[in-house]
Amino acid sequence: MTDCGSFKLSNETEHKVHDAGSAEAGGRRRVLHLLIEPTFMITGVALLVLTIIWAVTLNLTEREYDAADRTAAALSADVANTYEAQVVRALGEIDHVLRMIRFHLESEAAEEVLDVLGARDLLPPQLLFTISIADARGEVLASNDPEFGDSVASRDHFLRARDEEGMVVGAPHRNGTADEWQLTFARRIVDDQGAFSGVVAVTTYAEYFVSGYDARIMGELGMLGLLGTDGVFRVRRTGDTVTAGTEIDFTSIVSDDDPGPQESAEVATNHWDDVRRYTIARKLFQFPLAIVVGLSEQERLAPADALQRTYMWRAGGASLAVVAILALLGRLSWQLQRARVQVVEERLAHARRVEYMAFHDSLTDLPNRAFFSHLLTQSIRHSRRYGNRIALLFLDLDRFKAVNDSLGHDAGDELLRQVARRLTDTLRESDIVARLGGDEFVVLLSEVTETTQAAKAAEKILSAVGKSFSLAGQELRITVSVGISLFPDDGEDEQTLIKNADVAMYSAKEAGKNNFRFYSKELTTESLERLALETSLRKALERDEFRLFYQAKRDMTTGKISGMEALLRWDHPDLGLIPPMQFIPLAEENGLIVPIGRWVIQTACQQNVDWQMQGFPRLSMAVNLSARQFLEDGLIDDIRHALKASGMAPELLELEITETTIMRDMKKTIKVLHELKRMGVRLAIDDFGTGYSSLSTLKEFPLDTIKIDGSFVRGVDSNAEDRGLTDAVIAVGKSLGLTVVAEGVESQGQADFLRTHLCDQFQGFYINKPMPAEEFAHLLAETNGRE
Amino acid sequence: MKRKFLAMGFGLAMASWLATTWAEVVVVVSAENTNESMSRSELTDLFLGRRYQFPDGAPAVPIDQRERSQAYPEFYAEYLGQTPAQVRAHWSRLIFTGRGRPPHSVPNGQAMADAVADNPRAIGYLHPDHLDDRLRVVQIE
Repeated sequence: MTDCGSFKLSNETEHKVHDAGSAEAGGRRRVLHLLIEPTFMITGVALLVLTIIWAVTLNLTEREYDAADRTAAALSADVANTYEAQVVRALGEIDHVLRMIRFHLESEAAEEVLDVLGARDLLPPQLLFTISIADARGEVLASNDPEFGDSVASRDHFLRARDEEGMVVGAPHRNGTADEWQLTFARRIVDDQGAFSGVVAVTTYAEYFVSGYDARIMGELGMLGLLGTDGVFRVRRTGDTVTAGTEIDFTSIVSDDDPGPQESAEVATNHWDDVRRYTIARKLFQFPLAIVVGLSEQERLAPADALQRTYMWRAGGASLAVVAILALLGRLSWQLQRARVQVVEERLAHARRVEYMAFHDSLTDLPNRAFFSHLLTQSIRHSRRYGNRIALLFLDLDRFKAVNDSLGHDAGDELLRQVARRLTDTLRESDIVARLGGDEFVVLLSEVTETTQAAKAAEKILSAVGKSFSLAGQELRITVSVGISLFPDDGEDEQTLIKNADVAMYSAKEAGKNNFRFYSKELTTESLERLALETSLRKALERDEFRLFYQAKRDMTTGKISGMEALLRWDHPDLGLIPPMQFIPLAEENGLIVPIGRWVIQTACQQNVDWQMQGFPRLSMAVNLSARQFLEDGLIDDIRHALKASGMAPELLELEITETTIMRDMKKTIKVLHELKRMGVRLAIDDFGTGYSSLSTLKEFPLDTIKIDGSFVRGVDSNAEDRGLTDAVIAVGKSLGLTVVAEGVESQGQADFLRTHLCDQFQGFYINKPMPAEEFAHLLAETNGRE
Repeated sequence: MKRKFLAMGFGLAMASWLATTWAEVVVVVSAENTNESMSRSELTDLFLGRRYQFPDGAPAVPIDQRERSQAYPEFYAEYLGQTPAQVRAHWSRLIFTGRGRPPHSVPNGQAMADAVADNPRAIGYLHPDHLDDRLRVVQIE
């Protein structure tokens, strides 16, 4: 129930923060905040850098490829131009030879023609070129190769030359011995009438036409070739491999219109060997052939590929490095941020703790007065709106001061903690328990429909507190007094409710403690009287309103006055003489008993000395000490001071302590008694028989006198039990060597009984009632006479 | 004459030595040619059309035998370390690109002997059985 209160408070503070900025500005700020958030910033930078790296890389490689592509296209055009020129020249030379031989055949025999031309070195080198001349039937008439066959009738070149004008190129064939591809170029021969009369041919190795293949330029996958207009490859070379005879669709690679030498190479897959090449195919102007030139795309782009791989690796490496660096940065900043968040959280937690401490009692963790006042106000507001009733229970522990004084403050604190725990355990969650300070607690019951509910709660509280506590190794019972005020019946505001509950609580205390009271108007009046009394009691010392009355103690046997007891009276200006019973408890409660007690001792001592000066005998003077006074640290000093100031002999002063006072804190009592004893002061135990002290404990105390309580003495006339008890007390006192004084003796009979039982002294209305000093002096003079 | 004999005798000795150890084909020049020896690379360069001079600076005319002759593949294998196909490929390239012509060729060893004997600038190869006074074997180192 304490937590719910603190939540309410923090909710309110958050509300205020929320209201502080407009939603729009907040949103914009949040976006900006996100952007400069390290995580976002680092990711952004990483993406940016990576984008740049890869954009540059891709751009560079693309440029490389473009350059390689252009170079390859240009190179294949170059190669094609060169190759075309070479092929045209080579073919031209062969055709020249064919025409020359044909010309000579018009005038000379075939055999002679070859010999003559050979001798003049007009024929091409025999190493590569074989010349043959055949007649119309294909019979070989002459050849520069003696092993050339006898007939060419079935040869492709012969068949073509027979039917076609111009130079023909036979289909590639293999020569018998070396199994190598050969090509035969031929022209028909006609006689004077223009009739076909034979064929002149030049046979050479197909390889010759592709010998210009330079692997340094064309690589291993480039290609040079001669393609017949019939679609049959006369020869083609790739790397060191020379083949011929492959048939393709001529029009598929050679366009009809001549684009000229500036044409650029197209990348195409060459169907004959499935290699992609920058291919140029160009039909030759004079011959039934086309040149085909190709540069392998793969080879031409290989450097670009290699470069691309290098770039990619570099870019990859750079990317990794960037990512690694930024990841490191990110981690660092994350740690930094976390540390910052931690600091903020610590501060927040500290603030919460401070707030909590400001609103809670540090001892019991219950809401404190300020917080309770806030809660009560809220509750009142709420109840006013919904027409509910509230009950306010004001608790005050009875005898708490005694616990604090006798067991120490730590024990007192522990007791408060335990009480607080019992209260919260006993009540409902929705009820609020708070500590106002000291031993005062309040309980707020919201939504009370019947007053019996408040009464029930009060009863529960009484029984919960009434169970024994275990403190400092001791079992202890305390009680509590509860005052109840109701909203709106007993007050409409917080202060009135608390004040009235307090008044009701006092009423409960006065009615004997350990109970509860509802507030009523009459109580206020009582309380006002009480308040007035307390106020005037405070002023009584200053105004010198206290008086000392003296009651004589008489020797049992002689009847002479052996001493006197000083008794306190308050001579109130309006109320007259007030007996101690009416104000001593109040003085005990508010601590006025200490200065009052001091005044009593001083006055009594002074009076005693005065009387001696006036010539009266040295008589003992008894002074009562209240419980609180007895346990006060300044007591010894006060007494010493009083004796010194008055000059009274210590052995004349007798201090009377009640039996219950003694039993409160045995240890301390014994200590104090011994100190007093050392000063020479006499000690008496008052009201003996009312407490529960065992007779054996009496030995522990350095006592001089016991005073039998008047309640026993009064009964010795009629009650055998009282007689027995009194007798026993006297006997014990005697056996311990103590003076035994009987109090409250009111009749001759009682006096007689005591006398026969060897009681030492007595006092009581039977002989003397308490009287002012002047009267007592007269009495002394009459009874004992002046010395 | 004595010197000629000596030279011939030495040449024969060399030839017989080569015949037993290497090959039978010998490189010959005209007896009037003063070059007695040349390096293998000089010989190679002469026959592959990269050089046109003897070691002494005189112009040289290499003469081949026909490709189908016995001496041809032996010569190219022994002295130039090349196959006929390689030689043909070499000359194909030179002819096709217009950078040279192969040596003139003669049908057989006797024709070679005559051709070399007739021309002091000539250099050729043949089987030792075609050797005569007009020729002189060149030592290839």
